[in-house]
Amino acid sequence: MNPAIETRNLSFAYKDREVLHDVSLSVEQGEMIGILGPNGSGKTTLLKIFSAVLNGQGEVRLNDRDIEAYSRRDLSKLFAVVAQESSMNFPYTVAEVVLMGRASYHSPFALEGKKDLEVARASMELTDCLSFANRYLHELSGGEKQRVIIARALAQEPEILLLDEPSAFLDLKHQVQVFELLCRLNRERGMTIVAALHDLNLAALFFPRLVMLREGKIYRDGSPSEVLTEKTIDEVYGIRVRVEQDCVAGKPQLFICSAL
Amino acid sequence: MKYWQRIIAVYLLIASLFVLCNFDLLAQAASEPRSQRIVSLAPSVTETLFALGFGNRVVGVTTYCDYPAEARKLPKIGGFMNPSLEAIAAKRPDFVIGVSSATDPAKAREMERLGLKVTLISLASVNDILTSIKSIARLLGSPEAGEKLVDKITLQFNQTKKRVASAPRRATLLAVGLRPLVVVGGKNFINELITLAGGENIAGNADQPWLNLPDEYVVAKAPQVIIEAGMGSERGESAKHWSDLKSIPAVREHRVYAYQSDKILRPGPRIGEGLEEIARLVHPECFAEAKRGVGKGSGCEGP
Amino acid sequence: MILVNSVLLALLALSIVACTLLGPVRLDLSRALHDLSFANPDSEILFRARLPRVLLGVAIGGGMAACGVVLQALLGNPLACPQMLGVSGGASLGGILGLILFPNWLLPIAGGLLGEISWVPLAAFLGALCSMMLVYRFSLFHGRLHPYHLLLSGVIFNSFIAAVIMFLNSIIDFYQAQGLLFWLMGSLSTRAYLTVAFIWAYIIFGFLWLWAKGLSLNLITLGEEAAMQLGVETAALQRQIFIASSLMIGAMVSVSGMIGFVGLMIPHVMRLIVGSDHRLLLPASFLAGGIFLCWTDTLARIALAPAELPVGIITAFFGGPFFLFLLYREGRKSLAL
Repeated sequence: MNPAIETRNLSFAYKDREVLHDVSLSVEQGEMIGILGPNGSGKTTLLKIFSAVLNGQGEVRLNDRDIEAYSRRDLSKLFAVVAQESSMNFPYTVAEVVLMGRASYHSPFALEGKKDLEVARASMELTDCLSFANRYLHELSGGEKQRVIIARALAQEPEILLLDEPSAFLDLKHQVQVFELLCRLNRERGMTIVAALHDLNLAALFFPRLVMLREGKIYRDGSPSEVLTEKTIDEVYGIRVRVEQDCVAGKPQLFICSAL
Repeated sequence: MKYWQRIIAVYLLIASLFVLCNFDLLAQAASEPRSQRIVSLAPSVTETLFALGFGNRVVGVTTYCDYPAEARKLPKIGGFMNPSLEAIAAKRPDFVIGVSSATDPAKAREMERLGLKVTLISLASVNDILTSIKSIARLLGSPEAGEKLVDKITLQFNQTKKRVASAPRRATLLAVGLRPLVVVGGKNFINELITLAGGENIAGNADQPWLNLPDEYVVAKAPQVIIEAGMGSERGESAKHWSDLKSIPAVREHRVYAYQSDKILRPGPRIGEGLEEIARLVHPECFAEAKRGVGKGSGCEGP
Repeated sequence: MILVNSVLLALLALSIVACTLLGPVRLDLSRALHDLSFANPDSEILFRARLPRVLLGVAIGGGMAACGVVLQALLGNPLACPQMLGVSGGASLGGILGLILFPNWLLPIAGGLLGEISWVPLAAFLGALCSMMLVYRFSLFHGRLHPYHLLLSGVIFNSFIAAVIMFLNSIIDFYQAQGLLFWLMGSLSTRAYLTVAFIWAYIIFGFLWLWAKGLSLNLITLGEEAAMQLGVETAALQRQIFIASSLMIGAMVSVSGMIGFVGLMIPHVMRLIVGSDHRLLLPASFLAGGIFLCWTDTLARIALAPAELPVGIITAFFGGPFFLFLLYREGRKSLAL
């Protein structure tokens, strides 16, 4: 089976600061992987390269085709991105924003059709934002905005979903809801999911494969038990933790050894 | 006794200090008018000074002062709206004469603070122009020269007025720019000249001295004479500009003139000649020397 | 969408008729329409003096408003306006230099068959092209036009041009200064149907081209990266929008001088009415801009009759307080966030 995303010897530097160094990663179709690492380890940069926002040195292939061979329109039907920041200089309603995800599916001269409206509606239902579909984006809380962005990404009907810290602004209930949704999409629709995460415990619970980055290089790549060891955390984050198995699924959970 | 002496001594000391400090003022007061140094801040003032016979006393003029020819050779102290204070002061003038509408009062105050004697005259109307000629002459100590010049101009006025006296008034437009259309308005000495020349300025009821006029107004007021007096107005441009508005009498009867002349535009001693020039344009039939029966029947007095 | 635009279109048609009939001079309409001969002052006022400038006003108002909408999207800033690109400054400077150096040169069109036009608007357009290329060059980084740099370059360029214009103002004579005022404050005074037709063709073409990009404009307001991820070739789009709007603005300023605030106000007013979807906002703003400038020009002709005010003064008169109000509202909104 063709890997959904494959990179070989990928490097990237901002001016003279190297952010990614010789990263080789292969993500199979239908896989769900979490990218971990401290701030500045290159998580966001990696996702940006995957989504063709930045150009790195080295090869990046999507569905076994070089990423540069795709047009942006085709790319937008292939994958969708849920990013951390979103620009909000202009007043759009939630419905308008989600519908923008359908942009590549209809002619630029036409308005959205019935299918587009249906897909948008379904996406909003999945992410629990139908109730404020007609409110303006800038009136919503951080968490509500996040869910709208996810809905927009889902409206693109992508094969691959890239998320940059999707749980950043969400409360506990919604964090769990989002991750459960991702699991469902992965299971039911076979969506490939690549997410940059900062919450190690949640990552361990929901993601079957984790990739730990350190200073722009892949430090460890494997199952949660393989990646989240006390030694790894100490070397990558510089924090001493105690690892225990959670009672339900046997996944590793970290407890910080506090200085007190 | 000693006490008295001290007081007198102090008094004399203060008095002599006072005299010493103002010595050059005293010297000035006693000096002959012929050693006066004058700086002019406007072309019209320069012309007036030369016309009054004070040309040899002028030590500084603006870059726009081009008449008479001698004025062009005089040292320049800057432009019309922005003369250089340093250049003026460096000439050590006894008198600085400018126009109130052009010189910034703040600049005038600064010049006075530098110890210069600044006189600003108003040239808003024909009367102002004539009065200012007399006051400049008086200021410089030769009031008779002023009277003579004003009499000469008045004579020129009367000659022209006589010529057009019985001609019917002609609606006139005097423009100084085509794009945009800038015309002579109400409170403008040129407006008076137009009236004296037997014309009627179609924009004469406006308060502003100069104004932009929309084309429809010109069509509505149907001027019989259009004079384009601005800089760079050449040959056929003016006629072409109006040629599509054939309802205007001036266009129909080919009375659109491009006539660039400082005598018309400058509020100085040549306005007498300027008036004649305007009258020749507004009522050419009054100046046609009696030939082929034009003199009689046209409603003008003979030459 | 059809409804709003139809209403606006009807209003526009009404405005054209109304503004042609209004003016500082009383018009005898029956005479104007019945006697179309050359020597009829009423028909000349209606068809030669007023109608061309009303039509020009509609084109320029619409064009400025459309460019305003598009630039606000491109620069990601709801306070952007056509003046900010530096193009209008360059056009004004070109026009002023033309006015000073060769005010009376004429260029025959089609060997003189279609009449002649003055070189001054051509000089202005050349100025617009030069400034467009300069600002473009200064904002290009790694082959991409960054909105931030574009904004900055445009503003700095404008300040520089303003300084040069003020310098010229101090060395020219009184009569040339009046012409300079025209460039700075705008005027729709024209009798040349040829010019009006040319500008109309230019602006309609530009507007239709921009309207076709409406969806992409929506996406680009979400941010450059989001737009890319939603399928927009942002680098190409930014380039195209910049060039298209610069050319339009350059042409408009060459003919009528700088008329400000239309490009800032109308997009915002229409955004409140029809929302931010550019596929709807663009035509609505175009029509509204035309209506607005039509009426402000009529006001400029009537307000201080017989004198004609520069139309830019009337738009600024409305625009200044509106701008402050906008600032206040945006400020409150960002505080609430």
